[in-house]
Amino acid sequence: MLVLQAIIEGVLVGGFYALMAAGLTLVFGVMDIVNFAIGALIVLGAYLSYSITTHFHIDPFVSLIFTTPLMTALGMVIYVFLIKPIKTNKVVMSLLTMFAVATLIEGILDICYNSGFVQIHASYINNSLRIGKLNFPLIYVLSFLLSAFLLSCLYLVTYRTKFGRSLRASMQNPVAARLVGIDTDRVSMITLGIGIGLAAIGGMIFGTTNAFNASSSYDIISRLLVIVILGGFGSVGGALVAAIFMLVIQDVVAVVWSPVWGSTAFYMILMVVLLVRPQGLFGKKGVRAQ
Amino acid sequence: MHISRFGSVASRHKVQLGAALSAVALSVTGLAVPNANAAPKPITIGISVSLSGDFSGDGKATQQGYKIWATWQNAHGGILGRPVVLKFLSDASSPTQVVTNYQKFITLDKVDFVLGPYSTKLTKPASDIANRYHYVMLEGIGGGPSVFSRGLKNVFDVSASATYQLVTYAKWLAATQKPQPIAYATMDDPFIQPMVDFAKKYLDAKGFTEAVYKVYPAETTDFSPIASAVAASGAKIAILGTMPPDGYSMIQNFIQAKYNPEQLILASGPDQGADFTKSVGITNTEGIMVPNTWIPTSNYPGNKDMVALYIKTYGGDINSINADVPEAFAAGQVLAQAVNKVGSTSNVKLQAYLHSGAKFTSVQGPVQFAPDGENSGAAPYVFQWQKGQYVPVLPLGGPDKVSPIETLRPAWGTTPGM
Amino acid sequence: MSTDTTISQRPTPPSYEVPKVIRFGALAVGFLVLVLFPLVFNNPTISTIGVFAMIFLMAVTGWNIFSGYTGYIALGHAVFFGIGQYATAMLASYWQIPPGWETFLLIPVSMFLAGLAAIPIGLIVLRVRKHTFIVLTIALMFIFQLFAYNLRGWTGGSQGLEVSQPPWDGSIFNLPYYYVGLFLAIVAIISSFMIRRSKFGLSLLAIRDDEDRARSLGINTRNSKLTAFVISAIFLGAAGCMYAMFVGSVYPQFSFDPAFDLELSIMAFAGGLGTILGPSLGALIISGAQQYFLITFGGANVFLIVYGALFILILRLLPGGVVPAISDKWRSHVVRKEQRILDSELEGPAEAGAHK
Repeated sequence: MLVLQAIIEGVLVGGFYALMAAGLTLVFGVMDIVNFAIGALIVLGAYLSYSITTHFHIDPFVSLIFTTPLMTALGMVIYVFLIKPIKTNKVVMSLLTMFAVATLIEGILDICYNSGFVQIHASYINNSLRIGKLNFPLIYVLSFLLSAFLLSCLYLVTYRTKFGRSLRASMQNPVAARLVGIDTDRVSMITLGIGIGLAAIGGMIFGTTNAFNASSSYDIISRLLVIVILGGFGSVGGALVAAIFMLVIQDVVAVVWSPVWGSTAFYMILMVVLLVRPQGLFGKKGVRAQ
Repeated sequence: MHISRFGSVASRHKVQLGAALSAVALSVTGLAVPNANAAPKPITIGISVSLSGDFSGDGKATQQGYKIWATWQNAHGGILGRPVVLKFLSDASSPTQVVTNYQKFITLDKVDFVLGPYSTKLTKPASDIANRYHYVMLEGIGGGPSVFSRGLKNVFDVSASATYQLVTYAKWLAATQKPQPIAYATMDDPFIQPMVDFAKKYLDAKGFTEAVYKVYPAETTDFSPIASAVAASGAKIAILGTMPPDGYSMIQNFIQAKYNPEQLILASGPDQGADFTKSVGITNTEGIMVPNTWIPTSNYPGNKDMVALYIKTYGGDINSINADVPEAFAAGQVLAQAVNKVGSTSNVKLQAYLHSGAKFTSVQGPVQFAPDGENSGAAPYVFQWQKGQYVPVLPLGGPDKVSPIETLRPAWGTTPGM
Repeated sequence: MSTDTTISQRPTPPSYEVPKVIRFGALAVGFLVLVLFPLVFNNPTISTIGVFAMIFLMAVTGWNIFSGYTGYIALGHAVFFGIGQYATAMLASYWQIPPGWETFLLIPVSMFLAGLAAIPIGLIVLRVRKHTFIVLTIALMFIFQLFAYNLRGWTGGSQGLEVSQPPWDGSIFNLPYYYVGLFLAIVAIISSFMIRRSKFGLSLLAIRDDEDRARSLGINTRNSKLTAFVISAIFLGAAGCMYAMFVGSVYPQFSFDPAFDLELSIMAFAGGLGTILGPSLGALIISGAQQYFLITFGGANVFLIVYGALFILILRLLPGGVVPAISDKWRSHVVRKEQRILDSELEGPAEAGAHK
């Protein structure tokens, strides 16, 4: 019973990680950059939602109306001022730049919020959904629904809109895309904006389901990176599968054995998979797949 | 950020040298007339507090306690007739930073005395460094066994140490309840875990079985697996070795899992006053217990003054005073009493006096030090939240009045609100 | 043209490198300063800065041997720093080493163990290409951190382990650590120098410039990378051992600390990634500044902000670092001098001719 509960909770939480990982892998696919700052940005989103909900006493989901556009704009600004100017060795330099951005954000949050652990409280935080003998905290269920909804939107945008076509073209072959008139810079800027807007939402979800502080960013980014590597850089479907897979394993191990072995299992699986398939589950060797 | 290491230090030395020379020159030429009514040189005390990091909530309360003590002490003649001046540095709850801080206080600032930081984890390295420079480490918030087991002669804890904190409750449990399974969950912390483990040892010997025993690292943020395990055990009694944010999360998880133990005691968290009631919700607090070394309404020396001064300075009411405040205050009280008796600022003499079996008084009760630095005169209480009020319930038959203890907690959410 | 005779009359051809005299002079002065530092500034708080500077010096130089020369930015080298710390703490208590001079014997042991651990680790992580590699090293570091938290029986969990401190007097306590650290740092720098000037070093640089091409030229990239990886791990293990001995306590979050990797990379980048002395310079300046911040402001994470901003600035403006910037400035200075001489020679005779 406990195991079944753990599996279902793993799926619920995995949905949120899948959303974040999708943003991360999409950004890599389009721009060849590893958005290392996404962990810190998710925490930033969490703190913003936290401040808004505690000061104005509104529901955390409502706070998204303010945080999401703000952070989407932030993403675009970061692209224009920090990423676009990089000319050489794009992958490594952009990774280091984002690493620096992450540190900067962490330091600022630490000073502003004093690194005590906080958690976003919704009025229904203690409610749970009862199915048979199992209890699921309402907040997990709502977050999962939101993530599923957004992932579907992402899919629709990518495959059914003109922008989505430009996106996929830039991912497959940026030079050819430019040759047919696609402004890959604009596509990149918007993609990074989307990625970081998603981080705002992910931050709210993270903040309601976990106690967090500024240094939670390391935990998030390392898990997301593991998921993205496992799924294969550039593959959104891979990120989805990997996220749910990893989170289910983590929760089951946590319940059956102990919580922190759960986290360890998370990383060990990555090692094992990479020994056998260095390109991840769904990545292709040297070619980026969608 | 363009600080050349040599430049900053060298120029600082130059400035100090220049200032010293001019002072000498001035006094020699008689331009600086020695003032017969000059204020006596203050007694400086260096303290490292956790203003950020894992311990930031308690760290701030610790600082408040020390500050209130300094104000009170200065109103009562200071130490050796000289005013007390406190110097604070934040250690961000880091054991390496706390060492740097105390080293700076002692070797650079050349303070007269130091007082202890918050938590066993930080007190241990702090007392090591104080020992290296032959300073006494008087403290009130570092009572884990590891502080006393290293054979250092300079560390003195004015509060009850970890081993005894939950034993009051364990003794009562064994005396009044049938042996039954107990669920234990504790953080892997050098103070908290020994609290739980010593109580467990006592209870195991009395026939209580372990329904579940989980230890989690301090860095855990997701408590639902632990809470689920405790809930799944079905135990009617739960003893949790938690610190504030973990305890609050676990209670939340219990509520979500619809697990309601008849008795619930936490190592710390419910003693944080308003923080606790806000995080958990006042309607959920009924029956939750916590050990404490201090009774807010007690008549021990200095207590009424401390409470009044705290409320005047920081607001709130008597129930919102964090337990760390009296612990810090008490450390300062004992320091003042001892130094006044010794008559000098020599740490060596102070250490000898503290080890002499002398008795001291404090807001937490009597203080007398055993050879390893523990306070052998302390007796911890157990408090319980009843109808939105935080009242002492144990020990029975002691000098303080206690309320009857609730042995059966009601359902979640049924406490009458304030 | 009359310029022919003028040029041939010049005694020595211009050199685009900083002259050997200046270089050796600077090195000698630097060495002297480092040796005398704790004796002049003998306040323990100040000499503590020096000890940490030495620890970082050897760590960054070691890190540079791998990441600087091969171009594989390893952001998880804290693993070996942590292995050095835990090995020291565990062995000190297991072998019942009395606190004092004998503990220093653990340095070569830690170095050996770190290097040994680097072999299987290197075989796993070096299979992948550059960006995956960076991420993988980070994941690895978290795995070790989690092991340190979980294997409570060995590692003490979140309560950590202790290394007993020698009962030396406070006024001279730091000196042995400083001088041993200085010795190790010099060993690291000399190793870096020798590697750079060797054929092995050239193969590493070739990997950095274009790995596939290096492979096609017959260089065994896998072995070269692994060797550099192991060598760099050895120095990080030494740094870890020194840190554990000096600080006296070992905790999971400080032994396997992502911030440590950030510090390593920023020091190396600031000084000049891939140069010999650049990382050392970066280490001295930045670790000194960091210690200053910690002493003055306490634990407030002000320096994180400074690091982040500084790193961004460096990556944008001085991606090469200080040392290459200096050589660049010298080079452009020489070129400008050259140009001026050439210009004056061109004008001189022409003027003479014009005034005929």
